[in-house]
Amino acid sequence: MPEGILCNKIPVTTKEQLDAVLADKGGKKYYEEMKHLDIDVEKLQTTLQATCKSRMRTWLEMCAHCGLCADSCFIYLSNRKDPTQVPSYKILSTLGKIVKQNGNVDNAHMKYCMDVAWSKCTCCNRCGSFCPYGIDMGVMFGYLRGLCFSQGFVPWELKIGSGMHRIFKAQMDVTPEDWVETCEWMADEQQDEWPGLEIPVDKVGADILYTCNAREPKHYPEDIAEAAILFHIAGENWTVPSEGWEQTCLTIFAGDWAGCKSQIENVYGAIERLKPKRVLGTECGHAHRCMVIEGPYWTGRADGRPPAPYLHYTEWVAEALRTGKIKIDPAKRIKEPVTLQDSCNYIRNYGLKDITREIMSYLVEPGYFVEMTPNKEHNFCCGGGGGINGIGMYRQQRNVGLKVKRDQILATGCKLVVSPCHNCWDAIRDLEEVFELGIKWTFLKPLLIKMAIIPEHLKPKEEEEE
Amino acid sequence: MFYQFITGPLLWLTFIVFFGGLLVRVVNYIRGLDWQLDRVAYRAHPGMAIKGALSSIIHWLVPFGSVGWRVKPVYTIIFFVFHIGLVVTPLFLEGHAVLLKERWGINWPTISMGLADTLTIGVLVATVCIAIRRIALPEVRIVTTFYDYFLLLLTAAPFATGLLTVYQAANPWAIQDFWLYAHILSGQLLLMAIPFTKLFHVVGFFLSRGQLGVDFGVKRAIKAKGGFAW
Repeated sequence: MPEGILCNKIPVTTKEQLDAVLADKGGKKYYEEMKHLDIDVEKLQTTLQATCKSRMRTWLEMCAHCGLCADSCFIYLSNRKDPTQVPSYKILSTLGKIVKQNGNVDNAHMKYCMDVAWSKCTCCNRCGSFCPYGIDMGVMFGYLRGLCFSQGFVPWELKIGSGMHRIFKAQMDVTPEDWVETCEWMADEQQDEWPGLEIPVDKVGADILYTCNAREPKHYPEDIAEAAILFHIAGENWTVPSEGWEQTCLTIFAGDWAGCKSQIENVYGAIERLKPKRVLGTECGHAHRCMVIEGPYWTGRADGRPPAPYLHYTEWVAEALRTGKIKIDPAKRIKEPVTLQDSCNYIRNYGLKDITREIMSYLVEPGYFVEMTPNKEHNFCCGGGGGINGIGMYRQQRNVGLKVKRDQILATGCKLVVSPCHNCWDAIRDLEEVFELGIKWTFLKPLLIKMAIIPEHLKPKEEEEE
Repeated sequence: MFYQFITGPLLWLTFIVFFGGLLVRVVNYIRGLDWQLDRVAYRAHPGMAIKGALSSIIHWLVPFGSVGWRVKPVYTIIFFVFHIGLVVTPLFLEGHAVLLKERWGINWPTISMGLADTLTIGVLVATVCIAIRRIALPEVRIVTTFYDYFLLLLTAAPFATGLLTVYQAANPWAIQDFWLYAHILSGQLLLMAIPFTKLFHVVGFFLSRGQLGVDFGVKRAIKAKGGFAW
């Protein structure tokens, strides 16, 4: 069977296709069909010729086989230094073989590539900073995912994720109507406590255009409410777009290159339509990577910059604290040992290490903030990046990978981890579920709301009248 | 006659292949860079790009200059002993400089014989260490191929034979100047192999490190004060 009904080389673009794949619980039939998928060698060769250029070919050819990348990889470390987990081995035995054999590979090899690309690498890019040649295997695994996707070898959940983006322009089935309704609902909900709080939709020329992660409207609407409350406290002139609000891009995880482009264009479209002074994303590393760091390239912007200055949430928080737009009640500062998770996507891959530490200096009583070792750009991935958090088939491998972060957190002696990134937040939550360390983990938004001094004029009127 | 040939036409051929081959490699590499596919705006921010590239290269060129070197001190020492010896010895050896003086009257700076011997022995000891490391460490063994040992041998050969030449070692066939010929030919083989093998990293290191440096300079470390802390 060259092409499966569910597992095939064609991306999901219709609701019917999506429902069919979704109905196959856990992807049982999907993975069964994958075993019989044919490889379109000609297509693979054309793709290689057009997209595998000197940077990557040089990386593959020049690798000195020195093994220095081994200890940089948290998956290698957490798998008791299993040599098959050495980053250079992983990439040479997968993409390296495809390139060497110019695409003449079989089903078994593509399945192996899929397993390695999604369960043995989170594209955290740490190895790239430990290779003397600067060979970034995370970048290459991202590329390999694209080759796998084009041949139909993609984990079931990400076939769905890619389909969701292509159909809903969001990683979950949230329509623009659902989104706007959720915003209205969240604004209504807050009126008792925060009279006058608004979530303005499609306001042209606002100071801030806010974009988020679809899981917020879908599963954690309070996150949107929290963002609104903080904008309200800070007195920001802000808005959300009715269309182009979804900042994440599971298509990047999936290797769905065309899907990446259209998702990013959707958000950039909102920026061009609403002309905000700045755009602000939620506490998500992946979303930031998609729209701010990689997005400009996917959409062909030669300067490598998004259409308007696009901030990570931590940048706005640091600015609000620095300028006094949000003031912290010193009595409410954190007075227990607390550590900070550095997200690969905006620390190693964007450089916001000082910004997050500046925030901690406002939120934590001096003496209570404990750094992880290693940290900043050399920090280890939480264990849940690159999409692995959401792939059922690789759950066990993901859980093993969490050990490095577990040990890093334990070494700090802290019971509280501040984690301004959705993926890290999830991984640390799961880490607690698996290893039961008795730790707590939090985004910045709830901390800020708890600690902020509320300006008198924003407090409910009833209280004043009493 | 043979000596005249290998230090005359063959030497010229060696240099043509070596320099020409490396030039082709550099040109092909740069021509194959693609801002959109690589997702690095190579041209848009030249100041940031140059700064990023230099920082990336210099941190890794200096012993213990990068976090990567500092976490592996033993390897770092072996690595630099090997590479410093490889580059400095042939370039500044008195025995090489004398050829330049005789043929073209060029006064080339030299290092002392004692230093040259030390560096050469350093290269050979490091070669053995690298080979042992390849066998002993599972994470290195799994990526090691026969080709890696071949390249190591190819690289060490001119140094071993050079040392034997200088100390006029006896050779198994009692051929006059055997070690000298072996030294010259193995050196030429090495130089000619460089553009066609992994050894092209003599330029590839700078290209690849520079490329990643530009990546971090214009894109992935733009918010880090002072750039990426290599």
